[in-house]
Amino acid sequence: MSAVHRVTHHPDEELLLSYASGAADEGFALVVATHLAFCPECRRAVSAFERTGGAMIASLTPATLRDGALERTLARLDEPAKSVMRQPTMSDARLPEPLRSYVGNLDRSWLPLGPGVAHRLLLKRGKTSVRLIRAMPGASVPVHSHEGRELTLVLTGGFHDETGRFGPGDLESATQETHHKPIADLGEVCTNLALTDAPLRFFSTLPRLVGKVFGI
Amino acid sequence: MRHQRRSKWRLMERKVQGQREPASADLNVLLLAVGRARDRAAFATLFEYFAPRLKSYLMRLGAGSGVAEDLAQEAMLTVWRKADQFDPGKAAATTWTFTIARNLRIDALRREKRPEIDTDDPALVPDDAPQADDKMARAQEDARLREALTSLPREQVEVVEMSFFADKPHSAIAAELGLPLGTVKSRLRLAMARLRTALGETP
Repeated sequence: MSAVHRVTHHPDEELLLSYASGAADEGFALVVATHLAFCPECRRAVSAFERTGGAMIASLTPATLRDGALERTLARLDEPAKSVMRQPTMSDARLPEPLRSYVGNLDRSWLPLGPGVAHRLLLKRGKTSVRLIRAMPGASVPVHSHEGRELTLVLTGGFHDETGRFGPGDLESATQETHHKPIADLGEVCTNLALTDAPLRFFSTLPRLVGKVFGI
Repeated sequence: MRHQRRSKWRLMERKVQGQREPASADLNVLLLAVGRARDRAAFATLFEYFAPRLKSYLMRLGAGSGVAEDLAQEAMLTVWRKADQFDPGKAAATTWTFTIARNLRIDALRREKRPEIDTDDPALVPDDAPQADDKMARAQEDARLREALTSLPREQVEVVEMSFFADKPHSAIAAELGLPLGTVKSRLRLAMARLRTALGETP
């Protein structure tokens, strides 16, 4: 097996905990779960937090149930389960689950976001958007800052910016204070999963217009 | 045989009621009996233990009493249906049941999907570290975790509890406690490091 890039940039503990507790919304959860597919270390952390959740449940003071709760439940044991049909999708073995099911065909539906850079919206819930961003080798995402948070998870290839170098599985967490200009590595297309919970602010005209058109 | 099995579960039921914190090994054995033999008596004992706690958990997260009880019942039906997937080498019955209730709540109350890894996915980067697959150790985890939780400073327990029971981002938890976000984060980090040490892990 070829050497797998060793993940060095991880979600912080708070993000892993909010995933384990269920407090994270679907967008954040998708980014964390996709990172977990790359990162056995964070899988162990989430497992420890889930076990803490189990212990917390066990330590709760039991609530009183309505009369006959057990009997009513026992009477329903033989009900057929609602069958959950998984629609077969055109899925892409280059991506791990759970992302693969959200993406379907990786080669479709890209929209331009500047020279050599394209994006594709995967999920929008309230203010949180999750999208794929694809940069050709050496291309750069225009300089931008954020009003909220931006999480960028590398899926293929890699990029570097003012804060460091990021390869497959690495997660960069940027905040309001971060003004950065990520540049894709030479040699391979860089595909990222990016979450924002507020609009990005670009510092040049073209992407600002593009951003307006596509609501980034 | 049938009679013996029943009386065995009755014994456990007494244990569950008499001793508020049953050994989680007993819960694992009951859940295995449900998974392997569709044992209704074992399920009834699990229900008596978990359903009131799941209702309590859901109410802590803001559900009304009726909704919380309906969801707790649904969670227990999911436990019944999925019990054959329970593997005590991977998680204790309490952890497994917690994840079922957590996911059900996200689905039913938030109407969102719960993205999770697929452990059989060939694209998953494998874990090369030696795996602790000691069922007895797993079974004792709850006790060790609860002991560790009680030994934590109150201020740390508070933020851990709110992480599980408040359904809010940590920035909102910080605002509610009147603390800087950094303080909440560092308390969480300290608490989680202690809990992972109690699990025999080096975080």
